[in-house]
Amino acid sequence: MLAAEKQSPPRIGFSVAFGLLLVLGCCLARPSWAAKDDATESSTLWSLAPVARGALPATKDSAWIKTPVDAFILPALEAKGWAPAPPLARERLIRRAYFDLWGLPPSPEEVQAFTADTSPDAFERLIDFLLASPHYGERWGRYWLDLVRFAETNGYERDALKANAWQYRDWVIRSLNDDKPYDRFVVEQLAGDQLADASDESRVATGFLRVGTFDDEPNDKLKYKFEQLDDLIHATSTAFLAVTLKCARCHDHKFDPIPQTDYYAVLNFFAGGKAADGPLLAYTDIGSETPEVQLLHGGDPTNPQQAVAPGYLSMVNVEGAADWSQELPTSGRRIQLARWITDRRNPLTARVMVNRIWQHHFGEGLVRTPDNFGQLSAEPTHPALLDYLASELMDGGWRIKRLHKMIMLSSSYQMDSIHPREAEYAQVDFANQLWWRANRRRLESEPLRDAMLAVGGQLNPSVFGPSFFPPATKESLEGLSKKGAEWGQSSLDEQRRRSIYMMTKRSLLLPLMTTFDSSDTTQPCSQRNVSTVAPQALALLNNDFVHQQSNELAARVLGEKGDDPTAEVDRAWWLALSRAPSEAERTAALAHLTVQRHNFASRAAQDGKAIAEPEARRLALASLCHVLFNLNEFIYVD
Amino acid sequence: MSTDPTKRAAASGRGPGSHLFPCGQTRREFVWEMGAGFVGVALSALLNQEGFFGQPASAAESARGLNPLTSKPAQFAGKAKSCIFLLMNGGPSHVDTFDYKPSLQKYAGQTLPADKQFTNSGNRKMGYLTPAWREFRPGGQSGLMISDYFPRVREHADKLALIRSCHTDSHAHGSALVAMNTGSTFIGRPSLGSWAVYGLGTSNQSLPGYVTIMDKRGGPISGQPNWSSGFMPASYQGTLFRPVGEPVLDLRGPLDRKSQREQLDLLAKLNHQHLDARPGGADLAARIQSYELAYRMQAEAPEAVDLNQEDQRTLDLYGVGSQPTDEFARNCVVARRLVERGVRFVQLYSGGGHLEDTWDAHESVEKNHGRHGAEVDQPIAALLTDLERCGMLDSTLVVWGGEFGRMPFAEGEGAPGRNHNPYGFTMWMAGGGVKGGVSYGETDEFGFAAMTNKVHLHDLHATILALMGLDHEKLTYFHQGREERLTDVFGNVIRDIIA
Repeated sequence: MLAAEKQSPPRIGFSVAFGLLLVLGCCLARPSWAAKDDATESSTLWSLAPVARGALPATKDSAWIKTPVDAFILPALEAKGWAPAPPLARERLIRRAYFDLWGLPPSPEEVQAFTADTSPDAFERLIDFLLASPHYGERWGRYWLDLVRFAETNGYERDALKANAWQYRDWVIRSLNDDKPYDRFVVEQLAGDQLADASDESRVATGFLRVGTFDDEPNDKLKYKFEQLDDLIHATSTAFLAVTLKCARCHDHKFDPIPQTDYYAVLNFFAGGKAADGPLLAYTDIGSETPEVQLLHGGDPTNPQQAVAPGYLSMVNVEGAADWSQELPTSGRRIQLARWITDRRNPLTARVMVNRIWQHHFGEGLVRTPDNFGQLSAEPTHPALLDYLASELMDGGWRIKRLHKMIMLSSSYQMDSIHPREAEYAQVDFANQLWWRANRRRLESEPLRDAMLAVGGQLNPSVFGPSFFPPATKESLEGLSKKGAEWGQSSLDEQRRRSIYMMTKRSLLLPLMTTFDSSDTTQPCSQRNVSTVAPQALALLNNDFVHQQSNELAARVLGEKGDDPTAEVDRAWWLALSRAPSEAERTAALAHLTVQRHNFASRAAQDGKAIAEPEARRLALASLCHVLFNLNEFIYVD
Repeated sequence: MSTDPTKRAAASGRGPGSHLFPCGQTRREFVWEMGAGFVGVALSALLNQEGFFGQPASAAESARGLNPLTSKPAQFAGKAKSCIFLLMNGGPSHVDTFDYKPSLQKYAGQTLPADKQFTNSGNRKMGYLTPAWREFRPGGQSGLMISDYFPRVREHADKLALIRSCHTDSHAHGSALVAMNTGSTFIGRPSLGSWAVYGLGTSNQSLPGYVTIMDKRGGPISGQPNWSSGFMPASYQGTLFRPVGEPVLDLRGPLDRKSQREQLDLLAKLNHQHLDARPGGADLAARIQSYELAYRMQAEAPEAVDLNQEDQRTLDLYGVGSQPTDEFARNCVVARRLVERGVRFVQLYSGGGHLEDTWDAHESVEKNHGRHGAEVDQPIAALLTDLERCGMLDSTLVVWGGEFGRMPFAEGEGAPGRNHNPYGFTMWMAGGGVKGGVSYGETDEFGFAAMTNKVHLHDLHATILALMGLDHEKLTYFHQGREERLTDVFGNVIRDIIA
């Protein structure tokens, strides 16, 4: 009832009024696996069987077998009476290798030297060279940053900068370049602060637990606390294990043998953590005691149930792991989770990682669902190969670079992306599950941008450090609630750096990048979309950056081959496409130069301006270079 | 186990054969998504002709890189072909605009009863219950009570379905805006427009299917996630249109049209030679096609926003050229022109940036809503008139509202402003198969919280989709192991407001 007279303003209550919001409230149906015999169910999930290193299968054609990879690929083709695609021409093979390992095109001189080198180990030496360069970590680090939903701001209203998030990005690049063993790579990210030999570097690695979104003004603080923990569980289980553990937050997993208690058992490992103080973007424990974790009915923080002890995914059988839970200290627990993930007997970790490596070399994983190894996964196209590679990873000290070599030296990797019997094979195996040819791949936004810079000789190869701000047009800032104020300035030199060093601001992702399907930074991304839409064509036709790079390429070509249009055309082709133009292409290009020279001159005349002949020639050449950047051949790698 | 994965997959019924596509989609899901709608690709025409659902999956599969925006049939008959969402950024006060609470007169000067619990957003000062700052009057035959902040919209009362019992999940702008747009307070999910375009495609391949028009004063808080396609392909995201100048980013470059045509001809020639050497390259063919579409879009997008093609009477009706209506009036005319040209979903923001530049009336409702109401009242009324006049109102759903409402009590003793209120607020819809002249749901007598026939965001979203012929429970997108929906596992269609 209301009092009849004025009284002081009401006291605030808690917002329990609408507390029952199950943000991730999945369906409440009983999971399909629970009705069956749990033990047999989990053992039928292919990804949970122990990794078994089998013998190399026998093949009829032994000449094709260059590395063990081929011995696993060829039998299924031979069984069908199929032949693998012929080897890719060498000038295209080197282009594939450069984009695969560096995300950059080779220079014409590198292509010519490689094609001229007939020694049997020429390609191996090329791979060694590429793997030894810092550009390798810049390329492969980007894949990892996608997986850990990396961005440098919090998102939401203030979208505040996460100070020193770039140090985590540098740690990723450096770790890959150093060929840090993958198990160590995992451990540092989950528990770099809890290692006996913890250092600033290993603490920076725990940025993995800090780079997600952060709402500094959550509607309901209690609920948001669990939302933040869920983000950590989701990032961890997706990146390292390809398990959708988040689905067990409100109820038992619908498809996989993951009871809801597993979710809260794992949550224990993060419950005692917090953002570390100090200049590093690191994670640490709250104190010496970890708060007790209770199962939340329906995932609702206002409805806690029984306490759940720390534990691991019960469907994964790592012998003795249960005992570790008993020994867990009250703090410093994350390292135990990392230990469980990287235990050789955990069947997921190595499989998931080698699948990712395969995926980025072949365009698709052996398991075509790289973020889901559960019941809804695609079974591996070649299970024995997946296991062989997983064993190789572990037996080789978890080092990744040697796997790249084993894969790239194979005949399987070196196949052409077109097959003489394409139409016939595609009828049967359109998705290329038998790996009868290479998959043609479109460059992602980063290598696309970087390649344009590189071809024009503009790429600033400096490594590491704070991110640069690309120029943002007034128009592209329209979407910000505080226009302009939130975008920094970087020098032109800085703006010519590789895309991995570009500021990733959650409320304003650079349109040139998002148009080409860059990751959205809020959730782990294992595989990018590849859409083909008109705004991409508009971007490559009209965006300032692309025009600048076309001008730069023209200037470079003129500087190197000026005064001879044929030489200019040839040079532009070599720089952009790693090959000479065909006769027909050369003729078309020369005609283009003539027509555009005329167009630009008469256009200027219409505007009452005269342009000198050299300027008209330069503009025409820039127009040709611009066409090259738009070619399918430029944006697709064979 | 067979060494042939194609055989194994067939035998198991899952395995790689059923999951060839990004994000673990099955073939059928992939085809459905790729068949969906915008600007792209070679075999879209084939799909259109032969009927998308009747086709064997293998035929569709051979179209690597289909156009995801091809127009698709609705799941059931819905009247609305398009939606114009007028988002009053900042949170307009329902008790001062569309939620008539005469009892606030009676309780003026008292506090909200202590048993009404709420979060004081931003820990602001709290004052006494305060009646509406402007008079409410009945509008139309229906006599719906609407205040003097919207006198012209009130004239259209018989077209409106007021939903006076809305509630949302956050009291903070950043997450509440994202929730209004995506159904979740957490960024990263596809927005309503993305779901609509995913479900229905779009009928004009020379324009984007989903357009967002900002207020000149700035974008909404949280930025891009408000029109993001989240985990769906980028082709479903909102395209930012500017009402003045070039409407789309990168629509024009430095080259004149003749020189650019020259480039495109050379590009096509070289691309075709490249394609000839790569038989079966549907992805390459699709990309070749996208350049022709882009070229057309360069001509058609400016045409769509060219208000010179409207007669003076129409411009005057909206208030183009007059202040303070000019900007929003232009946006409303553009919205009508876009819808007329087949754009599926248009969102207009009123208010941009922060605080008083939006409907965020902390300082003074009268000052703030007086200002913003005057900017939008005439244009919105004109939009309804114009849509009806063009015969488009039945097929165009107009939605009006903010990310939340405002408190029935003042922000401080005797203060003229009001704080955020996610517990109860009003949205309205018109056209597109909505009943006119009706009021649905109620807040309590203070206008503090929704009480009767409560409508959560999920219900609102479910209703909008239903009006467009989409079943929110069946419009799913498989992502990371889950069939995702706009409405999560919630949402009830408000049947009572559907004609």
